[in-house]
Amino acid sequence: MTSNECMARCSHVDYFGASVSGPAHRALRKPNEDQWLGVSGTFGTLIVVSDGLGSRCRARHGARKACIATLRAVRAWHKDGNGSCDDLVDRIEPLWFEEIAPFDRSDCAATCLLALAHRDGRTFVAALGDGMAAVRTHGAIERVEHLRASGFSNETQSLGNGGDWAKRCFERAEVDIAVLASDGVSDDIRPDRLADFIDWLKEEVATLRPMNRWHSLRRELNEWPTPRHLDDKTIAVLTWPIGRTS
Amino acid sequence: MGWAKYHEDNISRYWRDAKTKVRMERMTEAPPFKKPSSNNDLGKIRLLRRRLAENPSDLQAQQAFHAEKARLEKLGVSPNELLGIIHGDAPSTPATASDNDIAQGRKKVLKDFTIATARPLPVIVLADVSGSMSANGKIDALNDAIQSMIESFATEDHSRAEIHVAVIVFGKGDARLHQSLLPATEINWERVGAAGNTPMGAAFDLVVKMVEDHEQIPSRAYRPTVVLVSDGQPTDEWREPLRRLLASDRASKASRFALGIGDDADPAMLAEFLADPSARVYSAHEARQIKNFFRWVTMSVTQRTRSMNPNSVVVIDPTALDDYDF
Repeated sequence: MTSNECMARCSHVDYFGASVSGPAHRALRKPNEDQWLGVSGTFGTLIVVSDGLGSRCRARHGARKACIATLRAVRAWHKDGNGSCDDLVDRIEPLWFEEIAPFDRSDCAATCLLALAHRDGRTFVAALGDGMAAVRTHGAIERVEHLRASGFSNETQSLGNGGDWAKRCFERAEVDIAVLASDGVSDDIRPDRLADFIDWLKEEVATLRPMNRWHSLRRELNEWPTPRHLDDKTIAVLTWPIGRTS
Repeated sequence: MGWAKYHEDNISRYWRDAKTKVRMERMTEAPPFKKPSSNNDLGKIRLLRRRLAENPSDLQAQQAFHAEKARLEKLGVSPNELLGIIHGDAPSTPATASDNDIAQGRKKVLKDFTIATARPLPVIVLADVSGSMSANGKIDALNDAIQSMIESFATEDHSRAEIHVAVIVFGKGDARLHQSLLPATEINWERVGAAGNTPMGAAFDLVVKMVEDHEQIPSRAYRPTVVLVSDGQPTDEWREPLRRLLASDRASKASRFALGIGDDADPAMLAEFLADPSARVYSAHEARQIKNFFRWVTMSVTQRTRSMNPNSVVVIDPTALDDYDF
């Protein structure tokens, strides 16, 4: 693939997503503590999902600022000449500290998942904390996250706690869809049906017109089928047009 | 289309108000030219078809379906392609799994990919069934108390989690899993008899094995509760197994309750099991006090499952029980 083809492929990257409050927050009349961001710029196309830790008093603020700090980090990283994936994620936490000021980091703790379709054709995916960061490469699903080896539901690493990022860089033209989801979604997806879930997003949801797509996705999240679910739910998707993956 | 399409989402609202460079970039960039694709155009009508297949009397869907059909006809979508979707006939394009689903009026829905059960909240009881438990009706009281606890969990209507119960018994020479971890609604309690010594260390090993097993207790589960009931000193090596329990990644996070029965119980050892200076070891000298203890455990667990965060530890004051006299 030539660099011009990469640029052309990148310019066709689409993103969409939706976020809804979970029953727990709705019952308490509290706002959604998940946040997501999707933006295209000179760097390419970026999606971010952040889930504020429910036990923290400024979780929503922390999650929002995680999205903004990630965008700032991507911009600065792109401006400085596109280093490695490590270089990119290392920039996020200091910027998040700047953004959450004057509040304490422990009050604002939030997870951070990002997927960046870079102008040069590479795709960067990184995850800190719970949730799902999954990409489909050559038809196979790959999850970019540390297994929750020791914890239980709602126990996670986060920004502000010196957590360990899971990160991957996918070379040109490998990826045809990248999906980020908060733990409210990822914990209830059957592991054996993850590929079908991603197919559904790509074939049934991504093909809708943008406003219909947003409404449709919100409706699905609001009518979440798992019984007695509680968490806020967020999905953000980067998708490449069918037929442009090779 | 930029931020406006997600105007109800919080970040978008924030950025729209902030009038940042993001929005400027979106506005100054020429929108990528998108050739109208039949796939894009047909997405909505496919969804509406699906909704109608599920609920043919949905008037709103019917109206939207006809409006969408008229719009597509205006756009010049191939009549064969459109008819294939509307009537479930063979599509003009090569068949795919989803097209076949449409033809059968069955499309993939989110329900197909999600777990159909609520998140589990495991309760693991470590019950001493050594020979000394057969005295003074203690084993009968323990059986009744566990049965009553399971029945209470099974009939809990306001729970935000599905309570699963396992019972590990230690006595008769070894520790064993008497009741495997199952939803309380599926358990038919089989009474257990008392005999043998008190191999508590082996029971600790079993509970660690169970809690660390991601097949039995998945990571979506809420933090488990472990209840230890004993009327005597352990007869096997218990310090090292207890150290392993308290040092393990997952078992150490469990909320723990302990009950010592009779004068022979070792409160210091039970306090080590709790490993929390603020937690209290309860003692029972009569059979009914065993039942009271389990009522208290039941209340604590059900309060957790009713709370907005079932992972949080809810401390119920035992004096809240009417006939409290531990």
